[in-house]
Amino acid sequence: MTCPNNEVTLISFAIVLCVSACRVSVFCGILPKFVIFVVTREEPISRQPVATFTFSDDEEDTKRVVRSAKEKRYEDLTNNIKHIRNHKKIKDMSSMLSSFEDLQRAYQKAIPVIQKEENGATPRFYLRCLVELEDFINEMWEDREGRKNMSKNNSKSLTSLRQKLRKYNKDFESELAKFRENPDLADEDEEQPKEQEEDSEDDAPGPQTFKRGPSEGSGTESKSTKPGVDDDEGSDDSMDWGSSSDSSSESSDDEEQYQSIKDRFLKKPSDRDREEEKREKKKERKEKETRRPGGKKKDEEDGEGAWEIVKGGVAIPSEKPKMFAKDAEIDMNLVLKKLGEIVAARGKKRTDRREQIELLHELAAVADAHHLGPAINIKIKLAIISSIFDYNPKVSDAMKPEYWAKLLERISETLDQLISTEDITIGENITEEHEEFDKPPYKVRGCALTIVERLDEEFTKLLKECDPHSNEYVQRLTDEKRVCAIIDKVQKFLERTSVPSDLCRIYLRKVEHLYYKFDPNVIKQKKGELEAGTQTSIQIMDKLCKYIYDKDVTDRLRTRAILAHVYHHALHDNWFQARDIILMSHLQEAIQHSDPSTQILYNRTMAHLGLCAFRHANIKDAHNCLVDLMMTGKTKELLAQGLMPQRQHERSKEQEKVEKQRQMPFHMHINLELIECAYLVSAMLIEIPYMAAHEFDARRRMISKTFYQQLRSSERQSLVGPPESMREHVVAASKAMRNGNWLACADFIINDKMNAKVWDLFYEADKVREMLKKLIKEESLRTYLFTYSHVYASISMETLSEMFQLDRFVIHSIVSKMIINEELMASLDDPSQTVVMHRSEPSRLQSLALQLADKVNNLVDSNERIFEMKQGNFFQRGGIQGPYRQNFNRPGQDWGRARRERGDQQRAY
Amino acid sequence: MAKWDLTNMLGPYLDRHLVFPLLEFLSAKQIYDQKDILEAKLALLNKTNMVDYSIDVTKLLHPNEDAPESFKVRRQEVLNQLHQLTDEASPTLNLLKNDDVMKNISQQRDTKGLLTYLTKEHNFNIENMESMYKLAKFMYECGNYSATTSYLYFYLIVTPPTDKNYLNVLWGKLAAEILGQNWESALDDLNKLKEYIDANTFSNSLQSLQQRSWLIHWSLFIFFNLDKGRDLIIDMFLYRPNYLNAIQTMCPHILRYLATAVIVNRSRRSALRDLVKVIQQESYTYKDPITEFLEHLYVNFDFEGARQKLHECQEVVYNDFFLIACLDDFVENARLMIFETFCRIHQCISIGMLAEKLNMKPDEAECWIVNLIRNARLDAKIDSKLAHVVMGTQPLSPYQQLLEKVDSLSVKSEALIALIERKVKQKSGDNRWGQQQEFNN
Repeated sequence: MTCPNNEVTLISFAIVLCVSACRVSVFCGILPKFVIFVVTREEPISRQPVATFTFSDDEEDTKRVVRSAKEKRYEDLTNNIKHIRNHKKIKDMSSMLSSFEDLQRAYQKAIPVIQKEENGATPRFYLRCLVELEDFINEMWEDREGRKNMSKNNSKSLTSLRQKLRKYNKDFESELAKFRENPDLADEDEEQPKEQEEDSEDDAPGPQTFKRGPSEGSGTESKSTKPGVDDDEGSDDSMDWGSSSDSSSESSDDEEQYQSIKDRFLKKPSDRDREEEKREKKKERKEKETRRPGGKKKDEEDGEGAWEIVKGGVAIPSEKPKMFAKDAEIDMNLVLKKLGEIVAARGKKRTDRREQIELLHELAAVADAHHLGPAINIKIKLAIISSIFDYNPKVSDAMKPEYWAKLLERISETLDQLISTEDITIGENITEEHEEFDKPPYKVRGCALTIVERLDEEFTKLLKECDPHSNEYVQRLTDEKRVCAIIDKVQKFLERTSVPSDLCRIYLRKVEHLYYKFDPNVIKQKKGELEAGTQTSIQIMDKLCKYIYDKDVTDRLRTRAILAHVYHHALHDNWFQARDIILMSHLQEAIQHSDPSTQILYNRTMAHLGLCAFRHANIKDAHNCLVDLMMTGKTKELLAQGLMPQRQHERSKEQEKVEKQRQMPFHMHINLELIECAYLVSAMLIEIPYMAAHEFDARRRMISKTFYQQLRSSERQSLVGPPESMREHVVAASKAMRNGNWLACADFIINDKMNAKVWDLFYEADKVREMLKKLIKEESLRTYLFTYSHVYASISMETLSEMFQLDRFVIHSIVSKMIINEELMASLDDPSQTVVMHRSEPSRLQSLALQLADKVNNLVDSNERIFEMKQGNFFQRGGIQGPYRQNFNRPGQDWGRARRERGDQQRAY
Repeated sequence: MAKWDLTNMLGPYLDRHLVFPLLEFLSAKQIYDQKDILEAKLALLNKTNMVDYSIDVTKLLHPNEDAPESFKVRRQEVLNQLHQLTDEASPTLNLLKNDDVMKNISQQRDTKGLLTYLTKEHNFNIENMESMYKLAKFMYECGNYSATTSYLYFYLIVTPPTDKNYLNVLWGKLAAEILGQNWESALDDLNKLKEYIDANTFSNSLQSLQQRSWLIHWSLFIFFNLDKGRDLIIDMFLYRPNYLNAIQTMCPHILRYLATAVIVNRSRRSALRDLVKVIQQESYTYKDPITEFLEHLYVNFDFEGARQKLHECQEVVYNDFFLIACLDDFVENARLMIFETFCRIHQCISIGMLAEKLNMKPDEAECWIVNLIRNARLDAKIDSKLAHVVMGTQPLSPYQQLLEKVDSLSVKSEALIALIERKVKQKSGDNRWGQQQEFNN
């Protein structure tokens, strides 16, 4: 429908003109562009960017109800001609070929009529088409370069079209020659539109001025659209095609205007095109002259005035003149009725959505002018908003920026009015009958909440449309503030009525605009740098989320609120709060049953929770949060930050579309390299000492698969160069740590390159680096003790402290822990401050026997468990162990791992 | 020392009357200003019916003034009300005075049987129990706890658990028993109440959480006044997930009492591990010297820190209403814990250092260690020339490790087999168990 069709045929053009004539008053004010247009209209190739014309063939067709045979035949012809011209424009040869064939056929059918009407002469417009087509084909044919570039199909069609046309044109040779001689004869067809337009012109001033009464053309004042159209048809029918009298200057004006409109749609009309057009215009004029009915000539000046500000539009204009009768009393009911009419056209195929918006604006102006009260105003404004929403026909596409701007304006206007008006309720559940416009308390049907939600969605779509690295995106993003302001307004409005479910929804909207934004004030407040009483985003989130937790009944809102809340806490380093909320929510058990967008939010939350744990030096928790994200290697997809390249058509077009819709806008993305780095470093800190401790174990469990893959792939390389990427750095660091070389390890993890790549992304990067350094020292110490304890009989703690640059008591604490946990077979000698090794490494046979004993132990345990399960209290006991808090810090176990472990035990069994 | 005082935190979870002992204790310790305490007491009393007591307190507060007239009026009102309530409840009260009935009550344990007997023989009407309940409440307000106990005892026997006042009556009985210092029967009531709370799902989880946290606080009175309470408190607080959750979410300060109970209880060393985990988790919401002591000792192995904390702990324990009774136990056991951990890590310790860590003099410490060795609780020798303690424990050889691992296997399997056999006898049809058995062998 939006595809502009500048090839207006005679008849449809007539209607267009009559429509546009009456729009004068409207556009004068609103679209200054058109004024420019008027000034320059004498130049046929003016190229102002003009809003699109949206009339389409279907719309025309649906209107014709009663037609004579001639009418019908001519229309077939003109339609086909139109198609051909369209195809010409896009150089679609194959379609043109088929249209040409259709045209031939239609002409065959039309011959009897033509015989009768035109006394055997071929109609000029038909001839013109043939001439044009021939010219075009020749041109195409001569353009060898272009032909080469054509698709096979197209070039084939071109050849056959050329042959066919030659053959066909032979039949008309003489007439064509005549036409070519004198193509300038004006087409008289344009006269008809003139006529029509003149008629409507009388009503045109429309509701604003009401200075002229309705005239013959639409004097009936019938409100419905249909009769109006029939009216037009009637006059169409009455046209005398055969006779023609005079050419008028205005018709050429028409022509030119038409021309320039057309030009706007042409992407780059070449000079040749222009010439062609000129010729065509002349031809048209000629035709007009020959056919113009004599008696219908009109005063030129009148027409002129109207023409200037014409604008295209098809459907509604016919009813436009009847917006309000000149002397009609504008009152509530009338406006309402009118509104009903306009709104009723919404969503119908032939409705011009743009037109509708304008009409509604006009109506709003009328209502305003007559002081019909705020309720009706709001009602109309709501209608405007929804029609702007409807302007975009495709749900998956974003709106046009200019409409977006308009929409923002309208919505905030409406909301301002809503808020300033006391005693007004708007709701979806108020039926049309119960609306109350006259006196307070007003009641209007509508829903601010849905509008805001829709607005928000459109905004996201708009953002996704833009290239995230362009200025455009940044510009769009500035609208975020306005969207937030609108949400705030709606919140204010809804708080007046305070329906819990509505409030929950609007709060969640607000939360979703808030949760991913970092507020430095929060950190300042934590440090006590901010004076008391300042509200930071944490407090706002707290308030909103707690309300949702309390009042929400849908569960979905609550889930999202919890996740957003956790995300926000994690973002601001409130690790304990974030952890407690997520654990108390028990979300990790049920999240796979929720909808994809919530799952995405969950993944995002987990990513940030992991980062937060990392910053807090809770390496184990960080690893556990991130492991599920990293394990699949599809982090990008899991976080909805981009699609993986297609592999073997994993997904269909539809799937891809759906997935695209789910993507996060760029400004909400989480840095993937940061996540991966945090994950790999924490995996290194856990895995390397573990590897060192269990070097000789037969069946060693891998803690992190992804980390292992990185290690292995680097081992496979025959020559390992200095690390470049973040991963290579971590791998190199791991190798250094394996040798207990903490200095090299720390250098690999913390250096300028890594700082620029990852660490500087943290808010307090220096703290993180310090923490990392300390952890690297400690874990290196552990690794060193595991790896080299068998070559020592005793080590002095002094030496260790020097080696690892750690305080004595830290060394003491680490060594003690290892001794207590029986990781290190040693004991401390207090007087000499040394660690004395016990040398009790088992022999091979012993270690095998120990492993066997372990397995048998496992077997017995699992037997016991099975027995308990059969008794029926297995799950109960599981439930006791289950509560999150206990589960949480159990060494080596955590969220989601319990299941895996159980699996392991079963396997062992 | 007011820094570690928990009365403020405990107060909201306790009954008005239960706070009096705490306040008495505080005024004896003289941590706070006496006047403040008296005023707090008075504020509490004003909402009860213990007019005489409030007059006393007012006199203490303002020694030179006479008690205001309003107290006398109030006193008269209370007395009138008491008479009225007693009149209303008189049919039931008369019943209680009847020896015959009492005998029957003590014999008959069944509510229904008792009810039919009472209605038949003594024209008893269950509706009258409402007035009984009111009277008991009033008595309690007046501070007559023993009367309350007996009335509520009767109430509980007669009414079914579905009665609308049942929960309130249970709480009232518990409070009265605690205030009457009948620890044994208080423990019974506590268990009854616990069962009732656990069995009845309240309309929302928040409510049950609240009930539990109240119960936790009230039970402190009982657990720290009964010998076996130290076991019970561990079982209830640490190993009942519902109560542990309540502690973690509502009142992490209870961890102090739990920690103390675990430290004092030598036989429950295994609970330490779980407790340390909980303490670590909650370390961001609650911290006091006792929990920090455990953290230093078992997480960081920072003996110097533990020593300092132990010093602070003594003060905390000394100034805590519930814990003061186990001060000596606490210090003794805490020392032992430090020492044990020490021994596990070290093979040779100098006595001087040990004495310092244990807050003892070297001679004392030596004596203490000698006692430990003599009682066969420590496998060590003292090298008196160097003033060292040398541990006698040898590291486990792999062979011993293996033995240890396999040791329990046969016992466990046999127990399992026995269980299965019993099961099979019960349901001889089930074949799967038979297979299981073979598997175990």
